[in-house]
Amino acid sequence: MKKTWSKSLLFLMLAFVLVLAACGNNGGNAGGNGGNGGNGGDAGNGGNGGNAGGAEELTMMWWGPEERHKATLEAIDIYEEQTGISFQTEQLSWDGFWQKLPTLAASKSMTDVLQMDAAYINDYVARGTLADLSDIDLTGVVDDAVIENLKINGKLYGLPISQNAQGLAYNKAELEANGIELPKEGWTWEEYFEWGRTAKEKLPEGKYAIGDGASAWDWINWYQTGNGADPLFTPDGLEFNLDKDLFMEFHQTFADMREQGIVPPPEKTLSFLENDPTADPMASGTVMTRGATTGSVSALETMMPGQVAVINLPVGEEGGGWAQSTIFLSVSADTPNMEESKEFVKWFITDMEAGKALGMTRGIPISPEVYAELEPNMTTGDKLGKELYDIAVPHALPFYAIAAGFTEWVDTYESTMEGVMFGQTSIEDAYEQMNELGNRIAEQNAAKQ
Amino acid sequence: MADITAASKPPGRGFFRRKKTSDENNLAGYLFISPWLLGFLLLTVWPVTQSFYLSFTDYPLIADPTWIGGANYDRIFTSDKTFIQSLKVTFTFVLIVVPLKLAFSLIVAMLLNRQMKGMSIYRTAIYFPSLIGASVAVSVLWRNMFGVDGYINGVLQWFGIQGMGWISHPDTALGTLITLDTWQFGSTMVIFLAGLKQIPNEMYEAASVDGASKIRKFFSITLPMLSPVMFFNLVLEIIQSFQMFTAAFVITQGGPVDSTYMYAYFLYEKAFRHFQMGYASALAWILLVIVAILTAINFLASRYWVFYESGGKK
Amino acid sequence: MRNLYPRIGNQLLMMLFSFIMLYPVFWWIGASLKTIPEMSLPTIWPSEPIWANYTEGWQFSEKYTFAQFFKNNLVMEFFNVIGGIICSSLVAFGFARVKFKFQNVLFAVLLVTMMLPLQVTIVPQYILYNTFGFIDSYVPLILPHFIGGNAFFIFLVVQFIRGIPRDLDEAAKIDGASVFGIYYRVILPLIKPALVTVAIFTFIWSWDDFFAQVLYLSSVEKFTVGLALRMFIDQFDIQWGQLLAMSLLSIVPSTIIFFLAQKHFVEGIATTGLKG
Repeated sequence: MKKTWSKSLLFLMLAFVLVLAACGNNGGNAGGNGGNGGNGGDAGNGGNGGNAGGAEELTMMWWGPEERHKATLEAIDIYEEQTGISFQTEQLSWDGFWQKLPTLAASKSMTDVLQMDAAYINDYVARGTLADLSDIDLTGVVDDAVIENLKINGKLYGLPISQNAQGLAYNKAELEANGIELPKEGWTWEEYFEWGRTAKEKLPEGKYAIGDGASAWDWINWYQTGNGADPLFTPDGLEFNLDKDLFMEFHQTFADMREQGIVPPPEKTLSFLENDPTADPMASGTVMTRGATTGSVSALETMMPGQVAVINLPVGEEGGGWAQSTIFLSVSADTPNMEESKEFVKWFITDMEAGKALGMTRGIPISPEVYAELEPNMTTGDKLGKELYDIAVPHALPFYAIAAGFTEWVDTYESTMEGVMFGQTSIEDAYEQMNELGNRIAEQNAAKQ
Repeated sequence: MADITAASKPPGRGFFRRKKTSDENNLAGYLFISPWLLGFLLLTVWPVTQSFYLSFTDYPLIADPTWIGGANYDRIFTSDKTFIQSLKVTFTFVLIVVPLKLAFSLIVAMLLNRQMKGMSIYRTAIYFPSLIGASVAVSVLWRNMFGVDGYINGVLQWFGIQGMGWISHPDTALGTLITLDTWQFGSTMVIFLAGLKQIPNEMYEAASVDGASKIRKFFSITLPMLSPVMFFNLVLEIIQSFQMFTAAFVITQGGPVDSTYMYAYFLYEKAFRHFQMGYASALAWILLVIVAILTAINFLASRYWVFYESGGKK
Repeated sequence: MRNLYPRIGNQLLMMLFSFIMLYPVFWWIGASLKTIPEMSLPTIWPSEPIWANYTEGWQFSEKYTFAQFFKNNLVMEFFNVIGGIICSSLVAFGFARVKFKFQNVLFAVLLVTMMLPLQVTIVPQYILYNTFGFIDSYVPLILPHFIGGNAFFIFLVVQFIRGIPRDLDEAAKIDGASVFGIYYRVILPLIKPALVTVAIFTFIWSWDDFFAQVLYLSSVEKFTVGLALRMFIDQFDIQWGQLLAMSLLSIVPSTIIFFLAQKHFVEGIATTGLKG
């Protein structure tokens, strides 16, 4: 009769598992109800519960630094004055935003209006959490071609806020000091690698001209699309394409350079952390070039003032790099205030008053009029970003964000290629593994359609 | 039914001695545990059942779950190589960290459990690394300790040893995380300290009168009297080490080459990065079973080495 | 005089040990006074200390300073600690000293709840609090401490109570004490070190519990220190100087609490009545 404790524990676990297994299906209903409950709670919080016509309050969330928060609140004040609609806002850091949003989406309590990033938009669109904004008229503000480019499956899920472009930043000051020829606009991948080899000879021990791009998925995608192959994945995640020849060529080039000491050894490469002054490949003085965007280059400029210059990404026969918006303003698919939200997001990116209040806090404004107004007051960092944009545009290819469901592929690519860098995996094996995983995810996505 | 374990043991050594039913005081008992019971029923039961149900679904987190039966478990056990890798990493971590941390913190607790000038300051200083464990600045600090140009390599250079990127090399990354975790031994140490304080001085005094040596006192008084607390620390450390997340998340992101791909990080990545909450829930329940079995074994074994003053021994 | 050398030796040993444990703090203080470009240099101290990192960091935004966030955090911690102490001592006493039906089963349940990784219960829990309308309030952060949300503490105190001889209870019972009387007069004073431990850990562990805080608090006026600190970290643009300066300040309360509380381990407890 004397039951001991540990036995109870085992017994209890067993019982627990059995009971739960028995009522698994009921649990499903409970889950659905829970979701609805959450929805109701949210509407109640927003104070719009029974008020169908003419919302009095909108909710909005975004991420960013302090200047962006201040500017956004100012713009919102203007809107509140003009329309009488009041706002409940939530300002977050980048990490906090993306840690919180999945839970909000899961409990169907996203804010009416929210900032969105190209890196995540596909996942949120695929799950039906964002509203279709195609019917908002942006004539004269954003080029139709640009809008077409941003559409996912023919629909627009986020209004572009600012211009962004991808290129390379380089340490102009140090290259000049070592008598190294500066990169030339429009350089090709061959020229880029060759430049890395020759520049390394003139650099002191422990410094490198170019970094090791083997474990970054966007590099292989740039190489592949630049040289005329299809992108790794289509935005809907239904098709996957990893070009074997280009893959082998790209990684063999880096493997050789790694062996010859042209790029940093892997343990050094993997200790880099961009934008951390102690660990940034460029700011720490180790590597002379690194990838940079219009949005990120000013942060680099802050870390090494007056030393940074920009150049386009290496091009293949098709071109190279991209120039596109990557920050958007989206509307929740569940919002009870659809019309008001749409009106607000349109105002936010087109209105001159709003533009003046917002300034450059989200990068170069998408509206040419607003940009013309702000141009005289740009900071050095902003100007560098604009310069990068102007260099990137003529060579730009379409922008490819991680497709829905492919984050897993990207993470696996990183660890697999790290294995190649440390000589634990052959390039051939890495290709097989990555190709298999990519095709499997594409199949899974197709099965869910 | 003849209960062998119960028969072979003195009745008082079970976790809860059960005498006659008349001894039970249901009202008082339930009143005392009511805060926890209430919390359990209100806030825990539903989320826990929910997660169990979700482990049998395909749940992309931001859309509704669909029932897929045992497919998640099937995939985990048959085709997920990262599952095996993360188990390997986690078991290695737990097997090394738990004994190391317990031994280290007991020694330091004994060292700090003395009367000495400035002891308050020393105690705080030694606890300090555990304080910064949760701070946002901690990853920067750790990179500066163990980075290629970090403090550790600086010290090694004095001795003429060529340093390396401790966190960024697959052979040393896990070892570095183990060191970091052991370095934050503060909480286990504090619990030991509190336990040491609870041992009545009279016991040591009596032993001194009997002429017992220091070592003798340690083994015949300190260890047995401390065993309930030691047991607590052991159980707690095992549970916590299996769920170890922060360092893998903040410092290494599971890399390089998955060498620090801790189970809890794997789970987080599946749930909130890859939006596979159903899969993550299945992983969570597998972890729960593993940890529960280990804890149950621990409780069974505890009857042979944990001494409870209230258990009525002697 | 005979004892002098070992004593000095002891002191030196402790100093060395403390220094090793504290080394990162020296780097931290130095870095918090640097400009961003200077931070990439291997030096520990800046050529010229930038105190603005502290003053500007403290002046968080136009509307709110860190004073507000520290206040929010401290008020929250006050309730957390009280809740932690009351709840863990009551529940632990129930499990360790009172006999009731299903006691073993319930204790097993308590332990099992510690073993499920939190990541998978976050979403259902959020939905629950959302349904009750507790979002953007401190309720989801404080309430768990009052209702045994952290089972570790209950288990800890159970272990301590089980280390106390039962003779004391029996004696009190003969003197006519009720069950509650035994809890309040006999056990509670004896588990002071354990409760101090609970207090310290409650304070320190919930001070920077970022994930729960970012989930449940959304207005800036309710921010905790940890939340405000994260605001210095943008995707690319990180206010390193202010971040390091303010995060250094953010651990000051925990350090003070620990320093004050650890004295209770030194003082020891009244042992009258304990058998020798």
